[in-house]
Amino acid sequence: MTLLSISGLNLSISGTPILKDIALDVEAGEIVGLIGESGSGKSMTALSIMHLMPTGSVKTGSITLDGVELVGKHDRQMCLIRGIDIGMIFQEPMTALNPLMTIGDQVAETVRMHKKVGHEEAFRIARDALERVELPIDRFPLSLYPHELSGGQRQRVGIAMAIALRPRLLIADEPTTALDVTTQAQILDLLRRLVEEDQMGLLLITHDLAVVAGLAHRIAIMRRGEMVEHGETGDVFRHLRHPYTRALFEASRHQPVRLAPEIEPDAVPVLDVRGVVRDYAKSRKSLFGPRQYFRAVNEVSFVIHKGENVGLVGESGCGKSTLSRAILALEAIQSGHIHIEGEPVGTGKGASLAARRKMQIVFQDPYGSFNPRHRVERLITEPFHLLGSDAPAGRDRDRRIAEALDNVGLLASDANKYIHEFSGGQRQRIAIARALIIHPALIVLDEAVSALDVSIRAQILDLLADLSDRLQLSYLFISHDLTVVRSITDRVLVMKAGKIVEEGETEALFQNPQHPYTQQLIAAAPHLERALAARDIMGDRNA
Amino acid sequence: MSDRPLDSAAGRPAGGRRWHASMAVGGLITLVMVAVALVSLVWTPYDPAAISIPERLQVPNALHWLGTDYFGRDELSMLMEGARNSMAVALVAVGVGIGLGVPLGLLAAGRRGWLDEVVMRVNDLVFAFPALLLAIMITALLGPGAVNAILAIGIFNIPVFARLTRGSALSLWTRDYVLAARVAGKGHWLISIEHILPNLMSTLVVQATIQFSLGILAEAALAYVGLGAQPPIPSWGKMLADSQTLIGLAPQLAIIPGLAIVLTVLGLNLMGDGLRDLLDPRLRRSRS
Repeated sequence: MTLLSISGLNLSISGTPILKDIALDVEAGEIVGLIGESGSGKSMTALSIMHLMPTGSVKTGSITLDGVELVGKHDRQMCLIRGIDIGMIFQEPMTALNPLMTIGDQVAETVRMHKKVGHEEAFRIARDALERVELPIDRFPLSLYPHELSGGQRQRVGIAMAIALRPRLLIADEPTTALDVTTQAQILDLLRRLVEEDQMGLLLITHDLAVVAGLAHRIAIMRRGEMVEHGETGDVFRHLRHPYTRALFEASRHQPVRLAPEIEPDAVPVLDVRGVVRDYAKSRKSLFGPRQYFRAVNEVSFVIHKGENVGLVGESGCGKSTLSRAILALEAIQSGHIHIEGEPVGTGKGASLAARRKMQIVFQDPYGSFNPRHRVERLITEPFHLLGSDAPAGRDRDRRIAEALDNVGLLASDANKYIHEFSGGQRQRIAIARALIIHPALIVLDEAVSALDVSIRAQILDLLADLSDRLQLSYLFISHDLTVVRSITDRVLVMKAGKIVEEGETEALFQNPQHPYTQQLIAAAPHLERALAARDIMGDRNA
Repeated sequence: MSDRPLDSAAGRPAGGRRWHASMAVGGLITLVMVAVALVSLVWTPYDPAAISIPERLQVPNALHWLGTDYFGRDELSMLMEGARNSMAVALVAVGVGIGLGVPLGLLAAGRRGWLDEVVMRVNDLVFAFPALLLAIMITALLGPGAVNAILAIGIFNIPVFARLTRGSALSLWTRDYVLAARVAGKGHWLISIEHILPNLMSTLVVQATIQFSLGILAEAALAYVGLGAQPPIPSWGKMLADSQTLIGLAPQLAIIPGLAIVLTVLGLNLMGDGLRDLLDPRLRRSRS
């Protein structure tokens, strides 16, 4: 019998239809990937299965688990099913655990909530579950608190909680999106192994085609609350029958067209970083002991030439954000120096106005990058503050605003709107407009496309490539996403533990990584083409 | 999470018309109270201080709409002038709290370091003092009266606003748009004024209405123990205090000023709710 069978599922929240006629099956021992962009209803589908929808939702249709109908069940009955029959893993390992409880208590609590077992027995089950997610008891005693674990280890605890009672169905909502690539690969391996061992069904929700291409037996693609395609993974990728599937596929491997920059090696480089060191003081261990320092950025040197796009990759905590803040003079550096087109960014207090005028930044989160109280016109002219009395006024200012908005593909009339009237992708365009308005030489793009859906990401990458060509802009492109870095940069710096371990032309470096860490990173990164090649799909497509 | 822009009608949350109701009701009540207080400047039915023993303890009637008190003073006239005094005390006290507390909070959050420590520890010190005790101390030093009541209540509003401002400002300082402003070379004060303060407004407005109502209550409390406005100046709190011994004989004397306090506080809170929504462009009707 089919483990999970959904048919004709409709969901509306206060009258607005959210899901329309969803049909999906998951067999025991099978991994089904549920893919969609934000707002497609993929998470809502998972919550409908768990009966955890927001208040005001109306659900119709049929969801059966091992033949038992779940739609229409009372909340109290669903409580018995959640946790025992269905386990769930969430995206954010930092917030999914209670910081005040030890990991042993948390896993044991879920056990005791559902099973009438004694304290001893609950802890024995918890210990087993933690062993199974590869947190061996001798290195990870049950008395550890979540803050003593890394992100990947916390996600393992989350998985242990979900599988402690050996549920038949596991739902994982973006389980690896918040993790580094190497950790992501390990967690995906773990999930695959657990599914095999327990013969669980796994519903894996993700926006990342590359993740499911390598893992899922079958995939379902959702868009605007509807299921557009549903089938065996190889089959779906081989034929790309639905135009939306094709569009997603194309966007995931999108390669913006760029002209090769003409680099004059003798000219003054746009950015010149020499021997930069950034130390953070740790809190004192003892009252009179010497202060300990943590070296976040360790003797980093590199240059960026005019029109060049340079990628900076590394896992979280490697110092790449600290380095970018140091370049933007938001953090003091302890030694070394930074020059922007020859202007010193100073080691002491901040940068000179001249240096600041030449650099701007675009952040990751399109929702947090703007003051919600100001209109676009005021938001994007903020950098004019750097020009002091030279700032354009009156008609000149209007012209600059229109020019910046036009450059990023928005209308001049958008200047009078508030930021909440724009979508995520449009907001990121506005963030780029804010960076462009002062005509900088260098823009630091700090994970600037990481929060965007693949189709929007492709558009923003095209825009960035076009701007770089037209305006001779240089980018420092900071990202953990190797696919994106590969598609837009000319040169890549690989950073680990505060040091740059490898540097080279993008293609050469990706084809032939020298440093073991780079090799490890590239091997761990989910890669759509490689996953499909392993399934022998690309061969068919190209034939 | 929707990726589409929120357009004018669809973007408004369900029940988005609620602030209309609370704003209208709250505004109306507040307006009436303020109007009554202002009218009392030029006209009251009787002289609120005029004593007329033969007319004492009348129930509401055609001549004395709200009756008279133990000394035969007209209750309505006292209520009107009391409105002016009570509100003035609360308003100025909130003003003192905002005027000093908000800049201190902004300063502490913007500069951090030792300045933050000093400002917040002094705040703790004021907080640690029992409010009524300090009020009694101030009045003992400077003598009882409305101005000293304002001073005492106002001082206790400073740490309330300073803490609120600092706490909210600290979380705002970590936002990307503040970082963007720093990249644009803006200093602490400019960022505090341009980016931090506007985003604190809704919190501050709500807190201000709460503190205003607490101010009216505090004035009543001080007047009750005889430390507020001095006779013959009427205030709501004093009216309440005077009616205490007569509660069995003439309950309306306690009910009327009590009701006035409750209504004003209610009106202010409703209005604060509405104002908070009105000040937020995300909840404001789009002008296009």
